[in-house]
This record gives sequence, structure tokens and C-alpha cells, in this order.
Amino acid sequence: MSNRPPDVVPGLGDQTTFVDPLVRTKKVIVCCGAGGVGKTTTAAAIGVASAVHGRKVLVLTIDPARRLAEAMGIPEAARTPSPVPRAKLDELGVPVQGELYAWMLSPEVVFESMVRRLATDETRVQEILNNRLYQHLSKIVAGMQEYTAAEALYTLSTEGKYDLVVLDTPPSRNALEFLEAPRKLSMFLDERVIGVFLPKKGAFMRAASDLIERVFSRAFGEGFYKDLQGFLGAFSGMFGGMRAHAEAVRKLLSSEDAAFVLVTSPEPAALAEAAFFQTKIKDLGLPFAGYVLNRSWAFTRGFAGPEAIELGSDATDTDRVGLKKLGQLADAERWRAQRDRDLLARLRMETESGSAIATPHLGGAVEDLVGLGTLARNLVRIESA
Amino acid sequence: MLVTGKGGVGKTTVTASLARFAASRGKRVLCAEIAGDPAASSALADALGVDHLDIEPVTVSENIKAVLLAPHLGHTKFLRDVLPMKLLADAAMRSAAIRRFLAAAPTFPEMGVLYRLLDLVRMKRKDGSDEHELIIVDLPATGHALALAQIPASLLRIIPSGPIAAAVREGLDLLTDKQRTGAIVVTLPETLPVSEALELVKGITQHDIPLAQVMVNRVPFDPFSEAEREAVRAILSGRGPTLGERTMERIDRARVSLARLQREVTVPIVALQDIWLDGPRLAEEMASLMGVESVA
Repeated sequence: MSNRPPDVVPGLGDQTTFVDPLVRTKKVIVCCGAGGVGKTTTAAAIGVASAVHGRKVLVLTIDPARRLAEAMGIPEAARTPSPVPRAKLDELGVPVQGELYAWMLSPEVVFESMVRRLATDETRVQEILNNRLYQHLSKIVAGMQEYTAAEALYTLSTEGKYDLVVLDTPPSRNALEFLEAPRKLSMFLDERVIGVFLPKKGAFMRAASDLIERVFSRAFGEGFYKDLQGFLGAFSGMFGGMRAHAEAVRKLLSSEDAAFVLVTSPEPAALAEAAFFQTKIKDLGLPFAGYVLNRSWAFTRGFAGPEAIELGSDATDTDRVGLKKLGQLADAERWRAQRDRDLLARLRMETESGSAIATPHLGGAVEDLVGLGTLARNLVRIESA
Repeated sequence: MLVTGKGGVGKTTVTASLARFAASRGKRVLCAEIAGDPAASSALADALGVDHLDIEPVTVSENIKAVLLAPHLGHTKFLRDVLPMKLLADAAMRSAAIRRFLAAAPTFPEMGVLYRLLDLVRMKRKDGSDEHELIIVDLPATGHALALAQIPASLLRIIPSGPIAAAVREGLDLLTDKQRTGAIVVTLPETLPVSEALELVKGITQHDIPLAQVMVNRVPFDPFSEAEREAVRAILSGRGPTLGERTMERIDRARVSLARLQREVTVPIVALQDIWLDGPRLAEEMASLMGVESVA
């Protein structure tokens, strides 16, 4: 890595990118995109770039690349955000003036703190935490990550401890569930839905209530239905609060304080999802900021072609054949570079402000701190320290 | 067959390729994807070369059908199986409250998917043979795949008896039956994806789901002999960045990754070559390569 020239954003020279103002001014930056495109790494790099500007930043991640977490010195399943140690920040190779925190969300922890905040008294808290259904739900990963992300974002944004929260969205197929989570949450928590499960005296809901009791008792057995009623009964006082949270998150994400960054790789499948996602973000009225084209091969400046290498008179056949084969690999790289530049141009056309940038292909090095620092620099064009 | 792996490793392409390969050998194959946002484009449909998929199986090419696993069909079927009257089940599913509850409550959609899958597995032709001889499920990214696997056992703890428990047990039996089920973990020949694949293998094994094989996708073609590799390394040492060098590094990482998998996994490891195509053409090409490899 060290013998490579500084990476330059093609077509942008030494200007700053669209990410630069975001990391200086926004309160929430959401990184979305298909799985496997480097969302978590990009989120971390955005956090680093913002901390370079002296801000206090929290990177919120749900499915962390374990090595990245280890490299940054973040514990798993912590109850609160952890600061990235100063020694680690110094290894990044960029001057970090601010503070960087990271938190790997666990549904269990987030739910428990929500229960504690919203429940009226300690008896209620224990009642909920000891409910078998609650224990089941809070431990299940599927579907819960999205609720968790929305709830954590609410808490963090209301506390106001951080200048910026960077959210790495859950690794769901289209990463869409996260956007839908607040709506889905309020749907699930709708008293009209929940209400029919609770013991009812009024005549109004009795028919529906009877039907549901018959269906559920029959399907799940008596015990489960009682558990469900207990669970919902204990929760019922909290619905108003939870719905308010869901709405507050939605409002925050729609505001000027938020920005959505779409992360994609040059792979066709990832691009197709990104395009769909862009439409979705706009349809939902959320502030779309631009594209980050990750793992691109668009950077060839400063690279010499192997054709320029002249072998000495002592060169063997093996040397010549090897070099020729290297030439074929180089041709393939040139082809990919052109493909990725075309792609970048297309992405710029698809955004109103021409906001699309490419980050260089860092190979296997992205998981270490130097790689992360390089990526952060490339995202905003911070001068090398 | 359950195809699983981290996001972006090419699960869908592998699913489509396996389907084509098995179909070319005369098997009746059903490709399944878990239904999501109805507006979202289906990656599986693209890979199979069709416009869109439906919640009922449709034929996409000879011997290949495809379907979206819709949770609500599983719920309906389940209620019909469990409740004494079809009428009651249909009434229940018509109730907006129940529908919304099943759609929004965590784990219920996954249960619906599992039950729907069971239903498709049980489908018979008139002659008594299986309607779908091979069902290949393209599972969502890692977290969800493991979650799907953990749900039956977890549900059995809170609902130990009754018809749901029986259905869950049947689902669990199917998922853990070596004869009927095999999980394929798909990964890429890079450091981090291999670490994640190994974790996934561990998780799958812990949940007693039989692991069939590990498929390493996008393995770069390695043109060098050992001697040539050494020679090129010597030529490049001390020079500035050279085009082709990054691809060489990528080949090196792939070699290390494959060797690591071979050391740590006991099931067969299949390397799929990096092919610069997309959509149905990629799946066709990969299926034909699978044929070559199985003969070789």
C-alpha cells in the first residue's frame, strides 16, 4: 500500500466531495445499500472523516465486520456506545480532532432500555422482562434489527450527546425494512390491533376478540394465549410512547438534519438495488445526498503499464511469460477502470446535484485502521497528514 | 437445498445456476425466494431471466419453476390445517387485525415462510411422486438465515404443545433432516468473507442443519505457474504501482482464502470462477461450468 500514490477522485481533482459538507453539518447520516457493498466500512469512514473536523461522532452498526470492530477496539454487545481509544485513532493516519464512538446494537439491550424508560414503575418493568414472550422476541434477530435501529436512533438523537450519528442500516435484502420500521412498529403497536388480544368488556370489539381468542387458543394452545395477553397487557401503557418514538424518528429522518448516502459496488445486482433504493428514498420524502461507489477499479492514475517494463538480457523465458501474463491482467484492469468510470458518470447523471464519488479498490486492506483512514480521506478529500 | 451467505456474495446467482444444472439433468426444480417488498425487483427473477415472480409457482423454463415464499399463504394454510372449519380460517385471515398482527409481529412472517415451504415440499403429483423434486431456497443475508434457523427451536420453548408446536416440529425436522435438506454456504475468496462464512458454518452446525457444501464464488482465474509468479514478483519488487499488480494480489488472497477453508471445513468446497457476465447469461455459463466440474 505504502508505495502507491495518493488516490485522486477522477474528474474531481482536489476538490471536496458531496460527503464533505455532510460530515461537517448533519446530525444523522444513514448509509444504505445492498448487502456486501461495504456499508459498514463506509459508515465507519464517514465517522472518521467527521471526527477529523472536530465533531463528536457515533457510528451505529448492526452487522459489524468483526475485524473492523476488533481493529477499532469496540466490544461486542456493549450496553452503551464505546469510545474508540485514542491510540487507535492515531493509527488511522488522519488527524482526528474530535471524538469517535462506536456501538454495535443488540436488540436485547435496546429493548430493555426502552422498557425501562417507558414503563411506569419497576414492577411493570419486571413483569415485562420476565414475560416468556418478551424474552423470545427480544432475542430473535430476524425482524428485530429494524425496530432496534429506529429505537436506538430515537434515544441517541433526543439525548443530544453526539454531534453526528452515522447509521449503518441492517443487512436486509434491500435495506428497506429500516425505513419501514417506524411505520411497521406503529402498525404493530396500533391499539386497534393490540386491543383485540386484551380481555374486553365492551360489546364493540367482542366479536373480533372472540374470534381471535378461538383462533389463537386453538393454534397456539391456552398457555401461549395467556402469555400473549400478559405481554400485551403489560406493554399497553407504553404504546403511546413507542408510537411517539416511531414518529419522531420518521420526522428526524425527513428533516434537513439528516442525509441518506447510498453505498454500492460496481456489481450489477448491487447497482440494481441501489437504483431501486434511490427511488424509494425519494418516494418516502427522505433527503437523498448521493452515491458512494465502493470497491471500484476507476483509479489508474499513477499506475504504470507492465508493457513499459524492460527485461534485462539475463531474463529467462519464465520472466517473459510471467510478464506477458501480467500484461493480460493489466488489460483486464484497464477494462474494469473504464467500466467503473462510465458507471460513475451514469450515477452522477442520475442524481440531481451530480453527487456520486468513487472510492478506490483497497483490496484486503480495508479492515485495518490505515485502510479506514485512507477511505475516510478519499470520501471527503482530506489532505494526507 | 438452502442457499445462504453474507450479502453480496452471489447467493442468487448460485441458486439460479444450481437450478439450471439440476434441471439439465432432468430434475423438477423449484427456486424459491422469500417475498419482500412487492415493489422491489426480484434478484432471482433477473437471474432466471424472467420479469417477475409470483406467490404461486410458475414455470420459467423446462423443469424449472420459481416462487416467492409469501408468509400470509403460510399463515392461511396453517390456520386451515389447524382450525376445525375452513370458514373460520378464512374469516380469521379476513380480519384486518389478525392480518396486520401476523404481518407486523416479529417472527410470525418467518414462521409463515417456513410453513409455506413445508407445504411446497409436501406437494405431490397425481402419480404420488414429489411435485418438486428439488427446492432451492435463496435465503436472505446471514443474520436472517441463522435467525430463520433459530426460530423453530426458540418457538418450541415458548409454545411446547398444540398444533403450532406440531407444525414447528415438522419444520424443524425438515430443516435438520440430512436426507432431505442441505445448506450451501456461499462466500467470496477474500479474508473477511471467509471468516464470516466460517462463522456461518459454525452457526448452521449448531442448529443441526446439515451442511452440504461451501461454494466460493468469483474465484479469479490464476494464469501463473509457481515459477512465473515468483519471477513476476521479483520483476515488480522495487517498482512503483503497476497495472495488473492489484489483480495478482487478489489472486494471492483467493489462494490463501481457499486454503484456509480447506483446512477448517469438512464438507466439499466448490470454487466458482469469476465470470464477467450478469443476469441469466451468468447463471447459464456457471451451470455449464458446474457440469464440466462434476464430470472432471
